Amino acid sequence: MRRSMWASVLATLCLAGCVTTGSARESAVIRAKNKVLPALVHIRPVKEVFTGGRREEILVVGSGFIISPDGYVVTNEHVAGETRLVRCVLYNKEEVEAEVVGTDPYTDIAVLKLKTDRNDLPTVKLGNSSKLEAGQVVLALGSPHGLARSVSEGIVSVTDRYLGDGGDMASPYNTWIQTDAAINPGNSGGPLVNLKGEVIGINARRLGGAENVGFAIPIDSAREVIDDIIQEKRVIRSWIGASFQEMLRKTEDPQKKGVIIADVDPLSPAAEAELLPGDVMLSINGVPTNARFVEDLPPVNQLIADLPVGQEATVRIARGKEELDIKVTPTERSAVKGEEVEFKEWGFTASELTPAIVRIAQLPAKKGVFVSGAQVGGPAGEARLQAGDIVLKVDDQDIGDLAAFRQIYQQLVASKKRLVMMDVKRGALTRYVLIKQNGENKGELAPAPEGAAVREEQNDGK
Amino acid sequence: MGNKILRAAIMMLVGWYASAEDAFPPSLAREVYDRVSPAICVLSYSSEITNPASGEVTKRATNALGVIVSSDGLVMTHGHMLLENARPFSIRVKVGQGELEKEYDGQILRKPEDLNVCFVRIVTSESVGFPYVRFDAEARLEVGEEVLLVGLLGDNFDFSRSLLARRIGSILEKPRRTYCLDQPVPFGYVTSPVINAHGVAVGVVGYDLSPAEGGELYIRSGHPLVYQSGLFAHYLETPPSEQEAKSPQEEAWLGVFTQPLTDDHAEYWGLPKNGGVIVSTIVPGSPAEKSGFQRGDIVTEFNGIPIHAKQNQEVLDFTRVIRETGVGKDVIVKVLRAGQPLEMTTNLVLRPKSARDAVEFEDQVFGLTVREITTDVRILLNLPEDVQGVIVRRVKSGSWASIANIRPGVIIMNFGDYPVTNLEEFKQAVTKVAEQKPKEVTVFCRAGSVTLFFRMEPVWPADALK
Repeated sequence: MRRSMWASVLATLCLAGCVTTGSARESAVIRAKNKVLPALVHIRPVKEVFTGGRREEILVVGSGFIISPDGYVVTNEHVAGETRLVRCVLYNKEEVEAEVVGTDPYTDIAVLKLKTDRNDLPTVKLGNSSKLEAGQVVLALGSPHGLARSVSEGIVSVTDRYLGDGGDMASPYNTWIQTDAAINPGNSGGPLVNLKGEVIGINARRLGGAENVGFAIPIDSAREVIDDIIQEKRVIRSWIGASFQEMLRKTEDPQKKGVIIADVDPLSPAAEAELLPGDVMLSINGVPTNARFVEDLPPVNQLIADLPVGQEATVRIARGKEELDIKVTPTERSAVKGEEVEFKEWGFTASELTPAIVRIAQLPAKKGVFVSGAQVGGPAGEARLQAGDIVLKVDDQDIGDLAAFRQIYQQLVASKKRLVMMDVKRGALTRYVLIKQNGENKGELAPAPEGAAVREEQNDGK
Repeated sequence: MGNKILRAAIMMLVGWYASAEDAFPPSLAREVYDRVSPAICVLSYSSEITNPASGEVTKRATNALGVIVSSDGLVMTHGHMLLENARPFSIRVKVGQGELEKEYDGQILRKPEDLNVCFVRIVTSESVGFPYVRFDAEARLEVGEEVLLVGLLGDNFDFSRSLLARRIGSILEKPRRTYCLDQPVPFGYVTSPVINAHGVAVGVVGYDLSPAEGGELYIRSGHPLVYQSGLFAHYLETPPSEQEAKSPQEEAWLGVFTQPLTDDHAEYWGLPKNGGVIVSTIVPGSPAEKSGFQRGDIVTEFNGIPIHAKQNQEVLDFTRVIRETGVGKDVIVKVLRAGQPLEMTTNLVLRPKSARDAVEFEDQVFGLTVREITTDVRILLNLPEDVQGVIVRRVKSGSWASIANIRPGVIIMNFGDYPVTNLEEFKQAVTKVAEQKPKEVTVFCRAGSVTLFFRMEPVWPADALK
């Protein structure tokens, strides 16, 4: 009896509460939106893409927001990276061109500078993402599917989602704010806003095939990256070549501190220092590196990234029953993607090697260039050069990097030499790929008609 | 649209009429049907198919045509019945039609290496003399020649035996003499006997070349072929399982990957345009490496046999020469190195075991089926020599390994603190861990090019009793 009375009182209170917060919430949403909307930017970059052995340009759509009165704009790297031209449309529909100040693929952040003399642009206020709570109401602003000035509303679903260190969603340095506010393609780079009208995240990901599962980069993780880009045009991070797993992969025992070294790149400072997979890293330069759960991994990665490049660091590890101090000298972490170039006369595209490619190809050193595609019917395609091949030598000259290759390539194209030999590594095999420079495709590489390609296929080797 | 169908129908009728006129008068066609169709049977079986990527196993029931080739019940059928990832079970053989239909158990025999067919033995204690098709192993076929096929209509037509007329559309000479039919045939005609205008059975309908015939290199799939009787006559004499097992291990092996010396390659290196094979990759630890072959050597003569390969197809001949050269005796190889002729002596060894013959082990405790790492897999996955272990083939759904998220394809290098470099060590590690019953079992693996750990937390039966 007494219980049911309490229940009805509670229900009444709740109902009343909901009604009042309902209208209050609406005005709060409108207030918050009004604080951010004037600084919202609709971004239309022309991006460079390499496909099928060819360089192409495509127009994409994204979002961003102005953070300074003189026109610095924050967006995603996957919106503004590899662009030739970035057009921005401001809140008042004014169109302004922007230059890319710098990008950081590891956190998917890019900073643009609007080409304007104005110094009174509306800006957003950056909030504090560490204070977030799941359930808190948030707004996502941006251009879903190109529809500019869209606002959607939801709540924070999870404050610290970990999306892994590899694969499409790789993000070694940050966890993510998960939200049910609608996030669609085109929302990328737009702000996630709290009800005070402060930006607490940058919308960047969504789970395909799911309903209302979107992810934003917490603004606290982004702030340092944005500052670095504005000051240095890029983010400099240290690298030791070890990757980590949470302690739960070895034991459930909460007494066991540290983080597991899961993998050591053979061509890395960690390998030189003889760190081994299975070692448990306890601290770096005295700072504890405890990661019991996956969500604890990004701070460990960040700690390594923040080490001064080229300066010896002390890593304390547990190996079996022993504890050891090991000296490691970090190098600068290279870009996720290497520079990519189309070699028109031979009809293929190639990029700079990255440590990941060197690792997959099992190269003894970082020497060569990575073939990203070969055009059907082009000289390289005819010679059976394939995406994934590593060019090690051209006409018996070792290829150091993309610049060296480009130089040799230009000389050979100018020489009009009929045959050029490339030594190529393809998985565990090596192949001799013979390029015919003055074959059927004389310099001009118009797309070959389908029939021609088939014919040439059959003529191979004759 | 309707017009097109009508026209096609008329064409077909005309075609049939014309063929009946030229080569197969109705009386002969009728005679062929009456003689051959009793020897056509229906194979009903289920297959267990393993998805090579996920290790997931699915089961599927299938029917196929079988042709009885001996009075004691040897049945020949299509080669896809037994594949590396597909194993048939519950094989039933239905002989005769309608009232006269009788069903028997079937037992699959070892699949021939050199032809894409399978053989099934009818299991019966009765001494039935089965009707069977007699093939003429000597007969040859000509382009344009008409042939009759005796096959099966589908399930919906009670697997009625049925005739189909086709022509030999083309004859390929490489990598072996191959007869191609002029038009596709329905599935019920795969392995159907091929009868020539004299009413003689000269072969069966097939689809692919077997890997040993070069089928892997140029996949001539999707077009019906005739496997001429000469290719399988010896199997009718001595069925595969009863033959002396000629395993691929008996093949000789040099351990090189090659490319043909095209005229362009020869021109580039300033060599005579006589063909040859370029040694492009040398397998570590192979006879080629031990006898001092170098990358870029051009083989021009092997064991007295000149090598003149200029195209990919011709490299196959070189492969065959090596395979058929005996193991263990000295072989003289003539090569060009930097343009200079050089004579080398090598000693071939047995071809290392391939993934197809790799030994698997299914552990009952953790739900892992693993396989040894064979040389071919090491090359395919580009695994460095220092990576030793076993490859996970399947993970039983709901097992401790699946709960720990261990996936097919990863290489186990350490299991519960026991190093694993081969299948035997894995078996021992599993046994020891199962005896010790630790609370947690750490597994160290390589996935792609990186390494990582998995933790299993099994509930041991003894614990459950406490």
